[in-house]
Amino acid sequence: MTPDSSHRSAAPLAGAPRRRALLLAAAAGAVLLGGVALLARGEDGGATDSGHAAAAELSRKAAAGGRGPGGPAGAGGAPGEEPPPPRFEEAVCWRELARFDTAVTLENFRAWAAPLLASGDSLVADYLTERLTELIGQDADRAAQVLAWARDAGPDEFEVLMTALRGSEAVHHAQVATRMLAQGMDATLDGARRAGILSALDTQKRFEPAALDTLTTFAKDPVAGEAGWAATRTIARVMKRDFEAKGQVAPYMDALLTIGTESPDEQIRYLALSTPMLSTPVLDEQSLARYAQVLTQEGSPDGREAAAHNLSVSGDGARVLELFSQSFAQERETCVRWALFRFAARAAGREALPVMANMALIDPRFQPLYQTFEQLYASGLHDFVRLWNSLPDQDPFGCLVGHD
Amino acid sequence: MPRLCRSTRRAMGLLALTVCPLLPAAARASASDTPPALQAGACSVRGLMDDIRRGLHSGSASYQRYLRTLLREAAVTLPDAELRDAFSRETDPVMAEHLAAALVARSEREADLQAMDVVAQRALQDADPAIRAATLRAMRRTSALERTGDLYERMVRDDSPLVRQEAATNLIEDNARVYAGQYGPAADTAVAAAAASTDPAVTARILDNLSTEKVSAESTGRLVSLLRSDDANVRKAAVNALGGVPAEQMQGARESLLAMYREEKDANVRKALLQSVAQLGFQGAIPDLQRLRAMDPRLASEADAWIQVLGSGLQEWSLLLREKQRLQQAP
Repeated sequence: MTPDSSHRSAAPLAGAPRRRALLLAAAAGAVLLGGVALLARGEDGGATDSGHAAAAELSRKAAAGGRGPGGPAGAGGAPGEEPPPPRFEEAVCWRELARFDTAVTLENFRAWAAPLLASGDSLVADYLTERLTELIGQDADRAAQVLAWARDAGPDEFEVLMTALRGSEAVHHAQVATRMLAQGMDATLDGARRAGILSALDTQKRFEPAALDTLTTFAKDPVAGEAGWAATRTIARVMKRDFEAKGQVAPYMDALLTIGTESPDEQIRYLALSTPMLSTPVLDEQSLARYAQVLTQEGSPDGREAAAHNLSVSGDGARVLELFSQSFAQERETCVRWALFRFAARAAGREALPVMANMALIDPRFQPLYQTFEQLYASGLHDFVRLWNSLPDQDPFGCLVGHD
Repeated sequence: MPRLCRSTRRAMGLLALTVCPLLPAAARASASDTPPALQAGACSVRGLMDDIRRGLHSGSASYQRYLRTLLREAAVTLPDAELRDAFSRETDPVMAEHLAAALVARSEREADLQAMDVVAQRALQDADPAIRAATLRAMRRTSALERTGDLYERMVRDDSPLVRQEAATNLIEDNARVYAGQYGPAADTAVAAAAASTDPAVTARILDNLSTEKVSAESTGRLVSLLRSDDANVRKAAVNALGGVPAEQMQGARESLLAMYREEKDANVRKALLQSVAQLGFQGAIPDLQRLRAMDPRLASEADAWIQVLGSGLQEWSLLLREKQRLQQAP
């Protein structure tokens, strides 16, 4: 057993150095995403956090944590006020947990884990999840057993079951993934349960065409609800993994753009349109054309912002710049204009400055921003990430929180 | 052997040899069927350490993770003196690491700001290199860089290669994971330690894995000095580090690298030079790369790859790196 020193719980309002460290870490984590960080909960996210409205709100808050050095510093009392002394909750130590660990089996797991889960001790819940993952191991039958329990488990137990299954090696057996997908499609289950099951598929290394088609068709179904949202997020997460491992992106991109343009649910459309940014693929001709259509036809400003974000990485910066220039003139939403403005720089670097200058003529609120970008490029910066990190204010129009 | 078995064996002679091994198994099966009498209670230093000691030899990886997390979580409410005393007396490196992590947790959560110093002192002074390495690991991914003065400049000169490497790992991981490469003083600490180290492997490893986006001009000066190192790996790492310096230091870095290319004989260092020149200039570096290409035919394909990727117009360094890798992996 080797300890590590990544501390699990957040410090109570820490001193200046720690605050700075956390703020800076958050700044880099949220870089670029301004308002569209829907997957910010990322790979560590639980399998069951599937309430999409709440998740969207959370993600916006996460993105808000990405303000630059000039942004609000977050929590804190009035100036000069002494922070209250830290108060800590007592940790719980469990008698006979060592024996539990030694003797627990898949067969007795549910019964034995029940009192621990009922205690509300989050540390021990995490342990139970990991222990169950170990018990499942590579065994497809055990995975199927856990999946069967998920049909009637209460919320806390369900979370343990699905997170454990999601992290197991057995989840990569084709028959397990197929069974999970089938159960996720089971209309007799409630939406939250289906969402949790579909979310637990997000550790798959790839999706075969049939599975991807099933998820896509389901996600854009008007009645899919939060399970459709989860299915969309799962596609995006698997896309990221497959892209990083094998460079495979086209079928997932097609699926997400299909959901993003055909789902009647605005939240799902937004998720589908925004999530490719996690993989940051260089858009091919077809995807560029489809996103260009979204930029001009999508009714939701969030969706148009997401389109601008994704369009900013393509093999045709000049075409994107022209598209952004035209869209800016027609766009009435400030936050979409801000996206078009900053992502013009991401699409074409300093070559975008004349277009950005013209945008600032159309909308004078962008004049000081233009000057900032001009100065940063003049300083010798090229990398858009570093330029973004150097902005004195990454959210000049309050777009990262609460504009929807 | 349980007392029952010993007495049974005495009474039954040879027959007991076959019976006795079965008895404990049966007893275990029975015990396994009985649910544990789980009961929540308060934690103590002694109890947690006993659990961890037992957990080292039995139990699953998940249970071990749980115990070490529990100790850190409980640390803020455990008796400070008892925790410090246990740490000072502990001679097993693994257990010392757990206790050090608990003390660091107290410091990180402002339950005891001096606790970090206790750990740092032991990292510096303990006679056992395994303990020094373990206490360093306990400070990993924390704010130790900001709270321990010149600790790392001293640790990278430790007699033990293991300790020096652990110090390097802390500098790398703290900069990347705690500060996301965005906190200049932390990066400066790493550069200072890299420059202070007399172990080329440590110097090279730190600089090869450090974001220099926010380093000071003084640190950039140190990096430029390291370009003259006798060790090719150190020169290569310094070249890599100079590719990411702040905007106001880019021009000087570019000139240093271009000048170095003419004299450098090592192909790997030259390869790194091409990359850093590309990073410092993006599309504007293409003319430089074309000149450098002509100077060393061995690296023509490398220079061509950079020229092609920079010509794509992508505006983020991470994307350019990725696309170059894809380009060179393409069949």
